[in-house]
Amino acid sequence: VTSEISRRAIVIIEDSDEDYEVTVWALRRAGVTNPVYRCANAAAITELLTDPSNWPAALVEPYPLLVLLDLNLPGADGRETLLKLRNHRVWQAVPVIVVSTSGRSVDVSRCYRLGAAGYILKPVDLDAFAAAIKNLVAYWLRTVAPSVPNGAVAA
Amino acid sequence: MATTSDGLTEIVTATNVDLSNCDRELIHIPGLIQPHGVMLVLRSPDLVILQASENTETLFGIPALQLHSKQLADLLGPEQGAALNSAIEHAGDRLNSGPLHLLRVPSVVGRMSFDAIGHRAGNVLILELERAAAVVPPPLDFYAEIAPNIARLQATTSLQAFLDLAVTQIHAISGFDHVMAYRFADDGSGEVVAEARRADLSAYLGQHFPASDIPAPARRLFALSWLRHLPEVEYVPVPLLPEVREQIDMSRAVLRHVSVMYSSYLKNMRVHATMVMPLMKAGRLWGLISCMHHAAPLHVPCETRTASELLAIMVSLILAEKEDLDTAAYRVRMSAAIEGLVGQMAQDPVYHRSLSSGGFTVDGWLDAPGAALVTEAGVVLFGKTPTEEQVHGIVEWLSGYDNPGPVFATDRLSQLYPPAEAFRAVASGLLAAQLVPTRPEFVMWFRPELVHVVNWAGDPSKPVQVDVVDGEARLTPRGSFELWKETVSGLSEPWQECEIEAAAALRRAIAEVILVQLNENLRRSNAELDSFAYAASHDMKEPLRGIHNFARFLQQSTESKLTAEERGRIETIIRLTRRMDDLIEALLEYSRVGRTEFALANVDLNELIKQTLDLLETQITETGTVVLLPRSFPDVRSNRALLAGVFANLVSNAIKYNDLPKQERQIEIGWRADSAGRIFYIRDNGIGIAAQHLEHVFQIFRRLHARNEYGGGSGAGLTIARRSVERLGGHLWAESAGPGTGTTFLFTLGETSADAVQP
Repeated sequence: VTSEISRRAIVIIEDSDEDYEVTVWALRRAGVTNPVYRCANAAAITELLTDPSNWPAALVEPYPLLVLLDLNLPGADGRETLLKLRNHRVWQAVPVIVVSTSGRSVDVSRCYRLGAAGYILKPVDLDAFAAAIKNLVAYWLRTVAPSVPNGAVAA
Repeated sequence: MATTSDGLTEIVTATNVDLSNCDRELIHIPGLIQPHGVMLVLRSPDLVILQASENTETLFGIPALQLHSKQLADLLGPEQGAALNSAIEHAGDRLNSGPLHLLRVPSVVGRMSFDAIGHRAGNVLILELERAAAVVPPPLDFYAEIAPNIARLQATTSLQAFLDLAVTQIHAISGFDHVMAYRFADDGSGEVVAEARRADLSAYLGQHFPASDIPAPARRLFALSWLRHLPEVEYVPVPLLPEVREQIDMSRAVLRHVSVMYSSYLKNMRVHATMVMPLMKAGRLWGLISCMHHAAPLHVPCETRTASELLAIMVSLILAEKEDLDTAAYRVRMSAAIEGLVGQMAQDPVYHRSLSSGGFTVDGWLDAPGAALVTEAGVVLFGKTPTEEQVHGIVEWLSGYDNPGPVFATDRLSQLYPPAEAFRAVASGLLAAQLVPTRPEFVMWFRPELVHVVNWAGDPSKPVQVDVVDGEARLTPRGSFELWKETVSGLSEPWQECEIEAAAALRRAIAEVILVQLNENLRRSNAELDSFAYAASHDMKEPLRGIHNFARFLQQSTESKLTAEERGRIETIIRLTRRMDDLIEALLEYSRVGRTEFALANVDLNELIKQTLDLLETQITETGTVVLLPRSFPDVRSNRALLAGVFANLVSNAIKYNDLPKQERQIEIGWRADSAGRIFYIRDNGIGIAAQHLEHVFQIFRRLHARNEYGGGSGAGLTIARRSVERLGGHLWAESAGPGTGTTFLFTLGETSADAVQP
């Protein structure tokens, strides 16, 4: 089972190259070997929200395991993207963890209402961020049973 | 004053008329009286006679000088002297407010009867013994004679009818053959507006009298007492004896000697006796009721005078109401228009548009053929007005005019503003209301020049003449009161009080709308600024995070290869990113306090403060600070979250800035009731604040100490606390007697008094 999980991609929706690099660094540091698929702009997100038949091969077989979504995306509203993911035939079975700079309680609650599976802050503190990612990995990759999206090829 | 070389009479003109004797004559301290009575000046309170008029000898058979230092009994005999003494004592303070009839001194063999009238003047008592009328009229029956008159006066439906009736009644009661109501214009000239007279006397109705006819000192005296009576114009004045250096003030005395100008004036008018009563409106001299007797001298008995005086007082009391009657319908029309305009401004806040188009404009409801609306958006002209350029000229002049007040009114613009000569045909009258004090924006109304004929009683440009008598120049009043017609130009119909009030009311309404708009703009730009600060600081965080993270990568990957100095530099970069993060976080917090919508609810302060102290537990224990809570707190109607932030900031601040040894540090959290509401305070015995820094501590990121002293912090805590308090409707300020004396932070919460009485 573990090897099956480690084949499934972690999708990172993040426009900032530096933040993306730090996130990948933190995942690797936490021992994650899964493939990482990056969505860096609005066009890539639009593609993601179409039918899986249009998706790049890296996302289809097997379906992704987890989405890390940055709320502040140029040209796309993070909350809108979250909502669309939750209403998508395949994505609705994939947990979306919001990664944001805003600690405002209204922002946090709204994301949970829209169906976020978690919400972590991007602090200006590398160690704190690394610790948060480490906990996230421990929970979603090593504790809970993974969700299998509809139509996915069962292992 | 100039005299002509040939010694002939020189004409005094309108321009030098204020040289008139009367304006300079000290008519209130003449040291002389009229001869129809005796005056005694008494020392207070022992009523010793200080001065007596010379005619005590002819009227009482005792020379005036013999009465010096004597008692009243020495003049009137023991019985009447005692009666008068006790009447004075009984009158007490009532003598302060003017002449009071004390008693009638009956006639005895060889002496006629007198009316004793007393009043206080400074620190002496003036007692006047006025000769009683030969035939004493029956006592006045107020309900039979005066009350019906007052009822009829009240029933009149116009100012004119009211004044007509008033002069008719006084004509009947007083016995004078010519009674006139006289109204003052703003320039001090007067017009006869009502009269009742013996048929054969010539009419003065509608005639004007120049201001110098009743000069300022006389007007002051008229306003001071309800009745002035001169029974015989041709009299020989009687001096008070012994003569004193400082004459007593006879302003209110019944027997006071009148000005020589006044008596010659009356002689020139062929008048033998007068009685004058002021018409007062709202404490100001509106006009006079002037009674004249042409047939012969006329001494009006005390009783009749009292009746006339009572009537004059009633006339004054009803006057304002009657004057309002004439303009009632007009005022209703004007306020309806103002209401309409206010309604339009509510619909369309661009007042330049809403005041110049739609059902109502600034034109058409105020009795003026022309109007202008001048705003920053331009000039809109209505009806007959000066040109736009000329209106700009007026605006410029008005803006520089010395203290014009919010509403400016003149019926003679070209006299004040000479360029208006060019357009006096349309705008001799100007009524202007400035919309906001600091802006050259006006609503203006214009009235045309009204070339008209004024009927003067005699030539107003020559109200006095200089006669040379015995080689000495002397002013005398004009000899002729023949009708003299003057054509007046450069003047408009004057603006009525109710019109000026309407302009002021419109100005207030417009100012209110403008103020609301300005506030709205301010609120919007504040909100925009907050959004900007939020977005900007948010965006700053991203690169900052990048710098921080990559510096940390560098630090990790190069740790073993770098020198200590190089490692130190990387550490500095990382430290500075953290510091920058604190600052941005504070800025975000500050903007959040300004942006967040919040609801008000009852807040239990006892519970809130307990929670605040729990949160600061570590800080309190580590510093050994003792927290005093002298009294229980009330509930307040406020926002819990903002208020919690305020207390946390202030308490944490009070703990932080203290350098006393542990166990000596203390803070006190309390409140007190003040006339303006409740004041909450957090007092510490810490380092204190110098007076010049009391406000600086509230400036964002302003530090008064090195950053690593007193536990550091972003330097925005007090700024945020103040902003929170202000958003809650209150004020936050600091008090301190200086360094080393501790500091108290105090705040109010903008509660209404209704909130304050809640349990």
